[in-house]
Amino acid sequence: MSQMQKAKVIRQKKVVNKPLSKIQSFFDEGFQTPQWLKKKVSRRSVLKSAAGAIMIAAIPMRSWSAESNDKFISALQTNPWLTLDSVLKHLLPESPTGPCAEDIKATQYLYNVVFEQPTDDTEIEFIYKGVGWLNGFSQSQLQKSFVSLTFAEREKILKAISKSSAGENWLSNLVGYIFEAMLTPPSYGGNPDGIGWQWLEHQAGFPLPPAGKRYYELPGQSISKLGDKKSSKHSDATTVLSHQQYTRKQIGTRKA
Amino acid sequence: MKYDICIVGSGAGASPVAYTLAKAGAKVLVLEKGPWLTEKEFYKDELAISLRDVYNPKLEDEQHVIEEEYQTEAGESFWQGEATSESGWSFWNGTVVGGSSNFMSGYFHRLKPVDFRLKTEFGAIKGANVEDWPLSYAELEPYYALVEQVVGVSGQVTAHPHQEPRSTDFPYPPLAEHGISSWIDNSAAKIGYHTVPVPRAILSQPAMGRNSCEYSGYCSSYGCSSGAKGSGRAALLNHAVATGNCTITPHAKVYKIETDNEGKISGVLYYDKAGRKKKASAQYYVVACQAVETSRLLLASRGEKFPNGIANNSGQVGKNLIFSGGGTGRGDFFYQDLSKEKQAQLKQVGPFINRALQDWYQIDDKAFAGVNRDGKAKGGTIDFLFYQNPIARAQSTKWQVDESQNSEQLVWGEALKQSMKKEFTSYKTLRFEVFNDWLPTDNCFVALDDEVTDKWGDPVAKIRIGAHNHDLDVGEYLAEKAEKLLVAMGASNVSSSISSAPASNLMAGGCRFGDDPNNSVLNKYCQAHEVDNLFVTDASFMPTGGSVPYTFTIYANSFRVADHIKARWQKSSN
Repeated sequence: MSQMQKAKVIRQKKVVNKPLSKIQSFFDEGFQTPQWLKKKVSRRSVLKSAAGAIMIAAIPMRSWSAESNDKFISALQTNPWLTLDSVLKHLLPESPTGPCAEDIKATQYLYNVVFEQPTDDTEIEFIYKGVGWLNGFSQSQLQKSFVSLTFAEREKILKAISKSSAGENWLSNLVGYIFEAMLTPPSYGGNPDGIGWQWLEHQAGFPLPPAGKRYYELPGQSISKLGDKKSSKHSDATTVLSHQQYTRKQIGTRKA
Repeated sequence: MKYDICIVGSGAGASPVAYTLAKAGAKVLVLEKGPWLTEKEFYKDELAISLRDVYNPKLEDEQHVIEEEYQTEAGESFWQGEATSESGWSFWNGTVVGGSSNFMSGYFHRLKPVDFRLKTEFGAIKGANVEDWPLSYAELEPYYALVEQVVGVSGQVTAHPHQEPRSTDFPYPPLAEHGISSWIDNSAAKIGYHTVPVPRAILSQPAMGRNSCEYSGYCSSYGCSSGAKGSGRAALLNHAVATGNCTITPHAKVYKIETDNEGKISGVLYYDKAGRKKKASAQYYVVACQAVETSRLLLASRGEKFPNGIANNSGQVGKNLIFSGGGTGRGDFFYQDLSKEKQAQLKQVGPFINRALQDWYQIDDKAFAGVNRDGKAKGGTIDFLFYQNPIARAQSTKWQVDESQNSEQLVWGEALKQSMKKEFTSYKTLRFEVFNDWLPTDNCFVALDDEVTDKWGDPVAKIRIGAHNHDLDVGEYLAEKAEKLLVAMGASNVSSSISSAPASNLMAGGCRFGDDPNNSVLNKYCQAHEVDNLFVTDASFMPTGGSVPYTFTIYANSFRVADHIKARWQKSSN
């Protein structure tokens, strides 16, 4: 009898996938879930962690420079940020249940992800492309851009695109950033005064990173400055990893 | 400058050598691939520690190839590698000064006498390469006691069926305990289990220039900002540097140990921060880069006398790599089922659970259907813990599971808010982890990959991770015992998962020590059989790993080897 574990059966399926730049809509059959996203999706079911308790710590608030804020305010006036803001507000709407996207500064956090955190270009391209596909679909169905729709129309459009693999991927990725905006230290641009922690009765640890000590500002990390992002190049964009990738390391690792 | 001692790596295996030799007056050079961070760079930041994994290399820059076993449609099995930049499965555990000891939980269980002679106690197991250690518990015991003093271990000795012999009491009292610890004790007593207070490498009182624990509740896997956690950096390297005899060079990636045509080491070659090639030389060389990278460095260090890598003319380097068998389990406690007082106890954040079960450290149970005779086998340890990371916890809330369709649907809007609120505020999960021996086999080893290279162009380590079925049998036996305790405590949704996939932070072996140069790389003093002035002091030396986390034993053994090197250095310099 073999002493080894039961071996896995390899299944390979042939897929004709197009590069992201050639995809025209959420419903394009040439779309294949990007490698970076596949990794987190396949592991989502095993991800459960953490604990809940009463939030007591005082949270440092200021972290966002006036210059960054001006650029953010100006970016919000046009696409893709106009639409992204609108989608995030729909995904986490105002209600008595708890804070909404605006309360947790979800758009501001996403802006930090794109412009300050060293997020890979392929992921940013996917986030931006989705805005184009969303507005294209909205125009084709209701002859209006997404931001001009009523709440009910937005819901209908998002439900429709979530039926496609690309649409589900795109929305799921944004919801992932809503979680981060809700639950990361406030120096990253979301979760002002720890509002997300308070709502979920989560007690944060201490000390928390102030601006200047965020993960991409630690010694040994490469710093991406606001506005520099678009000039960076990647020779093999399909193999890069997502920021939001929840690795097996977190799951398989035991505390030693 | 020629140093007395050159150490490659700076973690739990390296720092005791630096500490001991620098204090003795030797000139020590420590070459560390990562940056030199201090308490000022460690925050309770989930993005930094896990989601962006910033204390480790980017996998596109430096990675591994993991070989797993597959089967064709025709039923033939074969091994196939996958680069970790593709899978995202990182095998890095802390690339900074102090290494992964910065990010340990510091469960400091000692090995027990039986761990040093598994083959003698339980006999050979078919398909496994079990060997006794060339060392007894009694010989290592004084070094466990030394580590408890100088690294700083907080704990409490209790009478226990599997309590190992100790020459001293713990130097620091136990850390503050969480309310649930007494629930565990009470339920365990009712079902005949004996709980063990877990010793931790965390200071419960200020000492040795370090602060005591601040109880932030985010200990495991987070870098310590108070200095209480006994990392190699905080506990040992800071003192080594203070002697004036120890130089730490961060951002120094050693890629080869160079030998001359007589097989003598002429120096170690490394890339500095700017990528320039540099060379360092010393009288004694110590390698401690964590098991996989230590084997990789030795295999990559070819020379005229070592065509297959330094110290590898026996072909043993990289072989008999081990991880830790076992897995994890959980049970949920819903607040609505608890009194107000119990709710408050459960919701507490900060103090430690610090409870383990070692009742089955040796299994003697006819019902155990392992490969061994008469239900006797080496068992293991069960530890209890909470997870803190809220972003990881939130992930499940965006999927609504439709069991009839066996599908998941993305949710948003009000449904998402309700789902998040319920997840975070209605219950708390108590988890356990099972640690049992990972048997060494011919299908778990390190080699150099033929294709994949790192950012400097050097071949990366290929790791074959085959596990022995016996490890699963033992792990499942232990998990069942732990589940029984959770049920006795009144937990809901009790479950466990024992896996043959290795925990990548629990690695050892690859350069095992032994008396026979034909089936081991190192001798009893962790000196290479084939090279007089080369020592390996991380977990690579272990022929078998025991059933507890490795760090404590790495520290103790490294102090033991450091004493040996110190004696040789002192003799040669007189």
